[in-house]
Amino acid sequence: MKILTCPINGPRPISEFTYGGEYRPMPDPHAASDVAWADYVFNRNGGPGMKWEWWCHTPSTTWFIAERDTVRDVVMRSFLFDDISKQGGAA
Amino acid sequence: MNALRKSPLHDAIAALQPEWGMHNGMPAALQFDQGDSQRMAALGIADVSCLWRCGLKGPRSMAWLTEQGVAVPAVNSWTPLANGGLIARLGNSEFLLEDSPGGSTAQRMQSLLADRPHGVYPVLRQDAALLLTGAGLHPLLRQTCSFNFMTLDTAVRPVVLTTMVGVVVIVLPQQMPDGMHYRIWCDGTYGEYLWRTLLDIARELDGGVTGLNHLILEGK
Repeated sequence: MKILTCPINGPRPISEFTYGGEYRPMPDPHAASDVAWADYVFNRNGGPGMKWEWWCHTPSTTWFIAERDTVRDVVMRSFLFDDISKQGGAA
Repeated sequence: MNALRKSPLHDAIAALQPEWGMHNGMPAALQFDQGDSQRMAALGIADVSCLWRCGLKGPRSMAWLTEQGVAVPAVNSWTPLANGGLIARLGNSEFLLEDSPGGSTAQRMQSLLADRPHGVYPVLRQDAALLLTGAGLHPLLRQTCSFNFMTLDTAVRPVVLTTMVGVVVIVLPQQMPDGMHYRIWCDGTYGEYLWRTLLDIARELDGGVTGLNHLILEGK
């Protein structure tokens, strides 16, 4: 059984989680160029590697971010969005 | 019976023809037959949806509860209320309060929420609420749920949000004088499915339905 760790509820079977897509910081819509904005809206990066992803623990509706190596399908860490700057990311 | 409030499990329970009583304006099954206490010891399942519940969430929910004199438990844990009942913390800022038969805290909080306090939002709680007892508890939990309840330390009064036979549930273990009681809440629309599934398993383990006479209404 695959186990994913929710930052609030702890380790749980993967059947309790819903995938929410890759985490992608939104550029400032007023300052971004048309090209940068179109890239954000339309393009996705499907290449394998270390990804930050949105996941939701369904029973508690806790949305959080998991850092996952999509080559090995291994989750390295998971944390709440509020902690994203502490984890080295941009909101 | 012409009650305004009915348990989400009412129809399934009515088919078993229990002795009915009224609690909080809702018909409640008091006793099924003389075997209630025997089933309770093996693996008893009781519908306690008639207990008064109140839900709230929001950024100021913790501060507001403290202002009302309600002790706030840590995340994913619960604590007894001063005059009976319990308060469970379901996340950083979401709470479930439930009154015991003699308590009134949840009812009082619900009436205060009608004033729409800033940063606190009421959560409608029309759950199916179950109470499980008896020696067969853990075999039943192992068959229905992927969460390992044996790892829990009941001394810290944990609350578990998980899924049981595919239904999102809140599970709360309580150490009582007569052994462990497990409280389960789920969305009322899934209640009858969960009830029937758990009852089928309980019957295989020599358990079954239990009325409230042998449980909470005696003040246990």
